[in-house]
Amino acid sequence: MGREVSESCIDSLLTEMVTTYCNRFYANKPELAARRIEAIGFQVGHQLSERYTMERPRFSDHLEAIKFICKDFWSELFKKQIDNLKTNHRGTFVLQDNRFRWLTHLSLDPTTENTEDPNGRSENKGAQVASMHLYFPCGIIRGALSNLGIPCAVSADISNLPQCSFVIRIKA
Amino acid sequence: MAPAGPRFGDAIFANVERVNAELFTLTYGAIVRQLLTDLEEVEEVNKQLDQMGYNIGIRLIDEFLAKSNVSRCVDFKETAEMIAKVGFKMFLGVSASVTNWDADGTCCGIVLEDNPLVDFVELPDTCQGLYYCNILSGVIRGALEMVSMKTEITWVRDMLRGDDAFELQVKLLKQVPEEYPYKDDE
Amino acid sequence: MIVCVAVVGHQNNPLYIQSFTEADDALKLHHIVHSSLDVVDERVNNPRKSGPTLNETFLGLLYPTENYKVYGYLTNTKVKFILVTTDLDVRDADVRNFFRRFHAAYVDAVSNPFHVPGKKIISRTFADRVSTIVKSFGLSSAD
Repeated sequence: MGREVSESCIDSLLTEMVTTYCNRFYANKPELAARRIEAIGFQVGHQLSERYTMERPRFSDHLEAIKFICKDFWSELFKKQIDNLKTNHRGTFVLQDNRFRWLTHLSLDPTTENTEDPNGRSENKGAQVASMHLYFPCGIIRGALSNLGIPCAVSADISNLPQCSFVIRIKA
Repeated sequence: MAPAGPRFGDAIFANVERVNAELFTLTYGAIVRQLLTDLEEVEEVNKQLDQMGYNIGIRLIDEFLAKSNVSRCVDFKETAEMIAKVGFKMFLGVSASVTNWDADGTCCGIVLEDNPLVDFVELPDTCQGLYYCNILSGVIRGALEMVSMKTEITWVRDMLRGDDAFELQVKLLKQVPEEYPYKDDE
Repeated sequence: MIVCVAVVGHQNNPLYIQSFTEADDALKLHHIVHSSLDVVDERVNNPRKSGPTLNETFLGLLYPTENYKVYGYLTNTKVKFILVTTDLDVRDADVRNFFRRFHAAYVDAVSNPFHVPGKKIISRTFADRVSTIVKSFGLSSAD
């Protein structure tokens, strides 16, 4: 059994990282904040893929690597696997997590829990905060795959919370 | 109030939701590196890490009080022991010790020999002024402020700089007595 | 005795190379490591049915020279490890054990947040660990 820390450590750190970049450093430039958060995720994903593939044979194709992300890699991070994997067989993969851990914790944050606003503006704000948080896991996935020799673009779809879908587009 | 024996912290840690420490360690490392890229000045990075820690500390204290079932500590001495034995254990899974008390009991050292934040870390020569774990001092400062203790915290020893342990000197500047000036709903 | 170990990036860029001989043959060893990279590529692109199982990280003996045996290993992240030894009678299990421990040391070294992917590994901890692993080569049954 490897070393463990309390889950609130990672939750607090991620929340604070997003706040630091979105509210303190780049309050008026969300696209810059997003890029920094994604870059942090990329480094983490790059390093984790190195660690988690240590004891296994090399992947023979993209699908095998994506399946590794869905199963072993996801389990290490979230103690569960991706719930559904879809592909168009032309380089796009959709990884659906029915209850994405980092979003369920996010909704407990009082600053985003304000859906009673009649004009729905704060709900919008909540979605904005959530999408900022998602640049981190998107970066993790892109970093992991890129280190496995698969350059790609990763985005997240949260139109159906707390479900979250990660869309991976492999670059030819 | 509950005694802060070493097993006490273990029991709480066994009951909280835990995650793989590598994710936490690597995420923290990636944040530090990104801050260095964005802020350029090592001094500025130290400041930001402390600020991030402070913001975390003022929120984390509630979880600490709730999960540890600790009623308010009587004095600074007891509080320092509680942070070292229970606080560190509950969140980071490691325990710290308290040493180097001054004569009037307002200044001590919190010593950490095992620190998950620095697994794999080696400071490059260009970052010698960096207090890599500065987030920890911020967390403690923030948490203590929420229980009415204003402190000043400085690094005395740092394993990344070749010392045999990490040591934070915690100095009590002011202790606001048992009143809540901003709480007027009772 | 292990005389040289190397880590080579996926574009055949050297990330770490260390020789362990008194003799002044560093250049020669570097040349051996360099020549072995083509063999790794060939081995990976045309796996032999009789050789190690498909896509296994351990590539086995790459080629013997008059004085050396050269072994290879390719990680999932396309990083090559090369081992050069003067031992003539090498047990497969010892080499596998060596690479397993070497890989673990490598993974920790690149987990340093200050390590830049694709750049040389500059780490005292890594160098010390590698030296320990090299020294205990072949002694695995003793511990």
